[in-house]
Amino acid sequence: MNIVVLAKQVPDPEALVEISAGGKKLEIEQKFATNLFDEFAIEEALRIREKHAGKVKVITLGGGKATEVIRTGIAMGADEALLLEDEAFLDGDGYATALALSRAAAKEPFDIILCGRQAIDHDRGEVGQMVAQFLGLPHVGNVVKLDIADGKAVAESAIEGGKEIVEVQLPAVFTAQKGLNEPRVPQIMGVMKAMKVQIPKATLGDLGLSPEEAGLKGSKVRIEKYLSPKKRPPMQLITGEPMQAAAEAIRILIDVERVI
Amino acid sequence: MDFSLTKEQQFFKTQAARALRRIVLPHADAIDRDDVFPLEIFKELGRLGYYGIRYPAEIGGMGADCITFTILAEELARVSMGLAATVTMQCLMGTNFLYCFGNKEQKERCLIPAIKGEKIATIAFTEPDCGSDLGGIKTRAQKDGDYYILTGRKLWITNGDVADFITVAATTDPEKRLQGLGFFLVEKGTPGFSVGQKIEKISARGSAAVELIFDNCRIPSDNLMGEEGKGAQYLNDILIEIRTMIAGLGLGLAKAAFTAGVKYTREREAFGRTIGGFQLIQEKIAEMETRIRAAEFLTYYAAWLKDTGVFTGKEAAMAKLYSTETACFVADEVTRIHGAYGLAEEYPAQRFFRDGRFLLFGGGTSEILKTLIAKDTIKKPDFWD
Repeated sequence: MNIVVLAKQVPDPEALVEISAGGKKLEIEQKFATNLFDEFAIEEALRIREKHAGKVKVITLGGGKATEVIRTGIAMGADEALLLEDEAFLDGDGYATALALSRAAAKEPFDIILCGRQAIDHDRGEVGQMVAQFLGLPHVGNVVKLDIADGKAVAESAIEGGKEIVEVQLPAVFTAQKGLNEPRVPQIMGVMKAMKVQIPKATLGDLGLSPEEAGLKGSKVRIEKYLSPKKRPPMQLITGEPMQAAAEAIRILIDVERVI
Repeated sequence: MDFSLTKEQQFFKTQAARALRRIVLPHADAIDRDDVFPLEIFKELGRLGYYGIRYPAEIGGMGADCITFTILAEELARVSMGLAATVTMQCLMGTNFLYCFGNKEQKERCLIPAIKGEKIATIAFTEPDCGSDLGGIKTRAQKDGDYYILTGRKLWITNGDVADFITVAATTDPEKRLQGLGFFLVEKGTPGFSVGQKIEKISARGSAAVELIFDNCRIPSDNLMGEEGKGAQYLNDILIEIRTMIAGLGLGLAKAAFTAGVKYTREREAFGRTIGGFQLIQEKIAEMETRIRAAEFLTYYAAWLKDTGVFTGKEAAMAKLYSTETACFVADEVTRIHGAYGLAEEYPAQRFFRDGRFLLFGGGTSEILKTLIAKDTIKKPDFWD
């Protein structure tokens, strides 16, 4: 069973993010972490391998700190890694990213592609589906349970107010939702191995892509402007007897905030 | 000059921090409040391999350098000083002499299980009337055929109540002072060995400080670690590592307290603005951060010197002195920033304040370290070279 995990290094949830250049850019504090949903994907891949044998390969796109997501995967127990590193990949949208990742995944035969349901930076939740589209494969999103047997997968997905159970033929793409598993804490031997591992790299040319198909040039969506959320007004304490206070709260909600 | 960690060291730091914040941090307040040895967390860190970090891969270790071990100490102190005291004891002082001098059976019986977190290790130096003055140790080891008979009392022994084995500092000849010192392996259950009183303390709670009693405690002569009278020399060999490690603990505590303090200045409002806007609070922030950065440079400089094989006794002493004093300074300032809430148990500021004091004594008090530094300086003809 060959499993490919697509993972991303994202700004740490506690990192300071500021809008700059008149709304054109984000200044992000240099604190990064593995995307939470991708950790579920790595963990699930390892569990499938432990049950069915095979290998787990972690692929990411980016430079510099992006290698940490790969090292995290190796520390957790992944067998192989691939870093897509090329200046031409920079500033790509979900479409360009998914195209590059799908080409990288398809370099070797695989049975399963796993990734997080979304990256917690832009929160678009689109790369997994697009990778499936580029490769012409079935896709199951928001997976909270995954059973593999006889070349098929039975996946349980979280849907509004319940769950959906689907069966798909492998190979297929699955995006991991919270609840799928509890990612393991890497053993120190794994950390040591990951610290020393040489990470193979692939460039635009290695994936058979032209500069027009990657990064900003290959993107279908362009960010026009970043805007800060409206500043919240200070908390308002409503005093008085409970009945009067409740009536005043309702009046504010109707007349001032206009939310009812 | 490049003061940054390598990518590999940075990766280790990230992984250790994440593991400890996930496994330990949610329990840090409870460890402190209940003052009970966190056995399950201890075992979990053993399962993950943390106790072998300094030891070679052949015995289940990681073969890490002093910088990496210092990084671990720093990250431990950021989450729980009680657990940090236990883990560093297990990694270094509690197992070092057994690793260096133990025979095959002793290593298989004690060291390997300790590295796996299946046995708890500690070391016993301090006595009721003797701390930094190791030459004044009164616990006696008398040779009796193929045995040694230990007699005496030890005090302030970390995790002595739960330890499965203890490396005990004892003298074979009190007249010789430091030249009479030796280390002896004593396992739990040995006749004549018992645990006495527990000292109720305000710092590093969750790792007990207890009295150990040796009343004609008979141990095989093989339990002498190394040679008679060479204990002080053996201790000197790891003193640099011990002091650098404690400097790392101080750095971690200072950073944890500083982070909590700055967070509070962003949230707490007074006179219609967050308190971070007041210049006297800003002065505290600037002073704390500058001292922390200086402590960081000293600490990792000492670790780097150790890794390059340069004699670093003085630098390690400076690092331990400055980093632990900085931890106490920062923790104090952070309680002041918190105002009356600095006394409240619901905020960690008071825990940092209490835990900082724990670092001032082990590995040499600030006063002893200053003496060592000054003596070394005075005897050199040109001390800036």
